[in-house]
Amino acid sequence: MREVISARDVCFAYARVPVLEHISFTVEPGDYIGLIGPNGGGKTTLLKVLLGLEKGCGDIKLFGTPLAQFTGWDKIGYLAQKSPVAQSRFPISVQEVVLMGLAGRGARVGRGELKDVYDAMQQTRTRQYAGRIFHDLSIGQQQRVLLARALVSKPQLLILDEPSTALDAESREMFFDLLGELNSKHRTTILLITHDTGEVGKHISKFMYVDKTLVFFGTKQEFCHSQEVAKKLGPFAQHTIDHLHNIHGHCPLGADCRECQHG
Amino acid sequence: MVEFLSYGFVQRGLLAGSLVAAACALLGVFLVLKRLSLIGDGMSHVCLTGVAVALLTSTSPVYMSLPVVALSSLGIMKLTQKFRIYGDAAIGIVSAAGLSVGLLITALAGGFNTDLLGYLFGSILTVTTEETVLCAGLLVLVGGGIFMGYRWLVATCFDEAFAHTRGVPTQAVNTVLVLVTSVAVVLSFKVVGIFLISALIIIPPVSALLISHTFKQVLWLAAVFGVGSVWVGIYASFVLNIPSGAAIILVSLIFLFACYVWSKGVHRG
Repeated sequence: MREVISARDVCFAYARVPVLEHISFTVEPGDYIGLIGPNGGGKTTLLKVLLGLEKGCGDIKLFGTPLAQFTGWDKIGYLAQKSPVAQSRFPISVQEVVLMGLAGRGARVGRGELKDVYDAMQQTRTRQYAGRIFHDLSIGQQQRVLLARALVSKPQLLILDEPSTALDAESREMFFDLLGELNSKHRTTILLITHDTGEVGKHISKFMYVDKTLVFFGTKQEFCHSQEVAKKLGPFAQHTIDHLHNIHGHCPLGADCRECQHG
Repeated sequence: MVEFLSYGFVQRGLLAGSLVAAACALLGVFLVLKRLSLIGDGMSHVCLTGVAVALLTSTSPVYMSLPVVALSSLGIMKLTQKFRIYGDAAIGIVSAAGLSVGLLITALAGGFNTDLLGYLFGSILTVTTEETVLCAGLLVLVGGGIFMGYRWLVATCFDEAFAHTRGVPTQAVNTVLVLVTSVAVVLSFKVVGIFLISALIIIPPVSALLISHTFKQVLWLAAVFGVGSVWVGIYASFVLNIPSGAAIILVSLIFLFACYVWSKGVHRG
């Protein structure tokens, strides 16, 4: 089956200071990838380069099409790290915000689009806010609306940049359960930057660790045995993630593991 | 009032002023929300270069200013995108360049006295029929553009990065927005003068934003406040014998104050 994302030798620099160097990977349909790494390690920049929001070097293909020629934006849902909440006086309703997720279909609102909007709002439990002004909602409610906006085009690939930071515990659980359902039932491919490894670990299939370069990309089990990750995180932190994800029987610390003994 | 409206130059001034004020207010809504409202101020300063060259070469200030201001507006965009300079700083740089070149040409030419003063402070009652037609064309362009590209404009102003990931041609939307704004600025300098153009772009939208609940309401109210300022301002200028440009802007400030009071009252209520 066709690769969802193909990145070859991707790099990016701000004012000649390298942020990303020689990053190559392939995302397959149905992958649920947790993108992790230290602050300033280039995770958000990598997503922006993949989406063409920052101009980097290297070859990027989305659904088999080179980024420069890619037009199938309805196949991708994107939720950024920073929502446009800073613009406090933008008088726009929640329904209009969600409708923006279909803006690529044309400058005018098409027939049948409102049904897609209500479906996405139903999924994210935001339908009751439809007529309200977006900026009158709490930050957590806004985040759910922005997730509805990312989902409204029924994307095959979801790219999410720390989407759960503003959510309360209940909303966070609902949020990750929804992502898990989209991935398992609809085979939606998900690339997710998160520090919430405990919550997301229930669903994800692969880890990607980026710290200017691609330190690691593989399955959860491979992550726990990776020497590169151990060097970056230290064996205990690496192993803690292992335990959070319930990867039993793959403990690299063996009899020395305190977590195993306690468990 | 009837006597006031019976003069041909007053009718032309009111019509041209209304058309350009509505266009500026509609454009201003998007510029204010994109935090680019001072672009009108920057472009108006660049107008001085166009007007100075026109007066030096005895050509039309409007036609001479149009390419100068349009190129400057594109320069502001390039500065922010290519050199990663903040929008307000880029506007300041281009504005200073336009103003200094204009003053230099004026000084080298030995000054233009009253001609230049008319453009600096506005002379709405000297608007020609040709200029009125241009103002009508501008409003049709702005209104038609908003009607046809409403979703792309709103999406680009609300969240440009996301709009880009939807396939919205955000670069083209921004370019068209600043180019049409540059045309509006050039056609406005006879109405309120170079010094006060940015007020036509900023004050009516800000007033409308204070009391509106939907985006479409903002657009309509901004246009109404812009046109209302022109009518009341010109009438006040006629009755009180005061400069029309200043009167128009002072009236728009009164609308802004009223909207502020209204918004406070509504929130308290």
